[in-house]
Amino acid sequence: MKRSKGGGDEEAPRQNGSASRRKADQQQSDGDEGGSDIGPADLQDDDNDQGLRREIRSKYRDLISSVQQNREDMLSPSNNKLTEVLEEANKLFKDVRQAREAALDAQLLVVATDLGKEKASQLFSEGTAFDPTAFAEHLLSFMGLNRLEDDEDEQQTTANGYLPQDAWHRLARRAECCFRTAPSFHYMMGSFYAEPPPPKQRIERQRKAPSKEAKRIMPTQLKKMEESQQEATEKEVERILGYLKSYYQDDPTSPISYYEFVIDPSSFSRTVENIFHTSFLIRDGLARMYLDEEKLPCIAPVEEGEVEAGGSTSRKQCILSISPKIWKELIDAFDIRDSIIRPPNKQND
Amino acid sequence: MTQRKRPSSTQSSSQRRHTGNLVAQDEDDDVTFTQPSTSQVQRGLEKLTPAQVDQKTAEVVQYFLVKDQKKMPVRRADLVKHVVKDYRNIYPEILKRAARTFDQVFGLKLVEIDPKNKMYILVNNLETPDKASPIRSPSNPKMGLLLAILSVIFMKGGVVRENLIWNTLKKLRVDPGEKHEEFGDVRKMVTDEFVRQRYLEYVRIPHTEPIEHEFRWGQRADAEVSKAKILEFMGELHEQDPKTWTQQYREAHSLPNSSQASTSSSSSSQR
Repeated sequence: MKRSKGGGDEEAPRQNGSASRRKADQQQSDGDEGGSDIGPADLQDDDNDQGLRREIRSKYRDLISSVQQNREDMLSPSNNKLTEVLEEANKLFKDVRQAREAALDAQLLVVATDLGKEKASQLFSEGTAFDPTAFAEHLLSFMGLNRLEDDEDEQQTTANGYLPQDAWHRLARRAECCFRTAPSFHYMMGSFYAEPPPPKQRIERQRKAPSKEAKRIMPTQLKKMEESQQEATEKEVERILGYLKSYYQDDPTSPISYYEFVIDPSSFSRTVENIFHTSFLIRDGLARMYLDEEKLPCIAPVEEGEVEAGGSTSRKQCILSISPKIWKELIDAFDIRDSIIRPPNKQND
Repeated sequence: MTQRKRPSSTQSSSQRRHTGNLVAQDEDDDVTFTQPSTSQVQRGLEKLTPAQVDQKTAEVVQYFLVKDQKKMPVRRADLVKHVVKDYRNIYPEILKRAARTFDQVFGLKLVEIDPKNKMYILVNNLETPDKASPIRSPSNPKMGLLLAILSVIFMKGGVVRENLIWNTLKKLRVDPGEKHEEFGDVRKMVTDEFVRQRYLEYVRIPHTEPIEHEFRWGQRADAEVSKAKILEFMGELHEQDPKTWTQQYREAHSLPNSSQASTSSSSSSQR
């Protein structure tokens, strides 16, 4: 309960007999604070010596506040300040007569024992001690701190160097090894960036030009040569169609192996060109590919009227790839001696 | 795996309602929910088709997965109120099946981190890798900060005053008093977000003036984080053998499940 006048004595709610007398005393003296000396002319016997009581209470309060304010200081293992406080309190206690003072003594004890517990826990580590400061330094190095070497840095307390952008990410990645965190659930469709799916584009491009070089060469030469290359391609495609048809005519019942048809055993590049040109036939519906009983690809021309070019029948796409190694293997496997497609007259080789 | 249909509209709206109340942890506790007995569960199951039970299980699984995105624990009361609803008489069976789904389909473990308040989290059931993953998937920098904090707490015996943490963070260029580039309001993140996720505990120390708090490991940290691995990391950083920290080493290697809280088994135990 707070008193209106003068300092101190806020905590004790109970007024004992001496309180009213003290109040009168306070009104007499000039608004002294609780910590001042014995007031004039109010000495009674020791037990009710108001000045002494006040003094004791004030000293207790000082002790309590000093423990609270200087916490860090008292915690340091290098001094015995806490013990000194307790010794001081012991001395004071000898003069304690009233409940209010005893209550302050108890409060001091509580505060001091908290501190004592804190100090005891500092003695925790048997074995090597753990120093958070050193830990922080090591962690900074781990995160990739670039320590600058400039002498302009006067205060050593401010940070030297700068952390890279991904400093905390580095630590987070290391943390993954220590944590058994459940990976967060997300719908997959949300996790893609908004770009068209690559495979589809690749297929389309591949269909027209299985060999990338051919594709790349074609457009540039187109510009230069005024489409004469385009005509050449068309001619070539026509020519190959001719080969296919005549070969087919010879024996309509026996299937033509695709590899035997396109491979030129003497030239890898011509083989690739043959594949390229053949793909046009298929694209335009003039030829079709299928798998025979042994799952080998075969090719056959399409009868007129069987399929419309560019029609709506179900079409499949596939990607063909061939490397010199595979080409050689195919030659051996199928025992290809001659090319079915005669090489064109040498124009631009 | 059963066909998982999209959750019914009532459930998704209640989910939305619930995520809106994410902050209000004092949702009315369903005090009327008592654990049904085994025979009650049996009878309940007889009245439902397998498809219905599967559907409800799937909804529970989905609820957990979404809640887990923010790493917030799931309270049984919320689960019953918002998802299980009319099926509460077979609740133990549903939870059992959900746990099995998590284990077999997702490689996750359903862990009860608070037996008193009945709260659950999801934890990775797979072995933690020895080194950082070679896949450059995006990582969450908050986990780095959390690792630093948990390490200090563990190495200091399991409890530290908040000032120690703040001072250590300051040395790491993370000042709780200022807005950090990457983490924003650091104090809030550490004392509020990490605490709600149950990674940390932030309790007031009695008799302190001004008020001070201390930090401890939270229940989720107990379940998710391996003390042994942290000690290993300390060893790497300080270039010391982890065994030199004898007390911490003992603690890290004492229990075989030292890094896991009580698990939910598949038997129909009290849930």
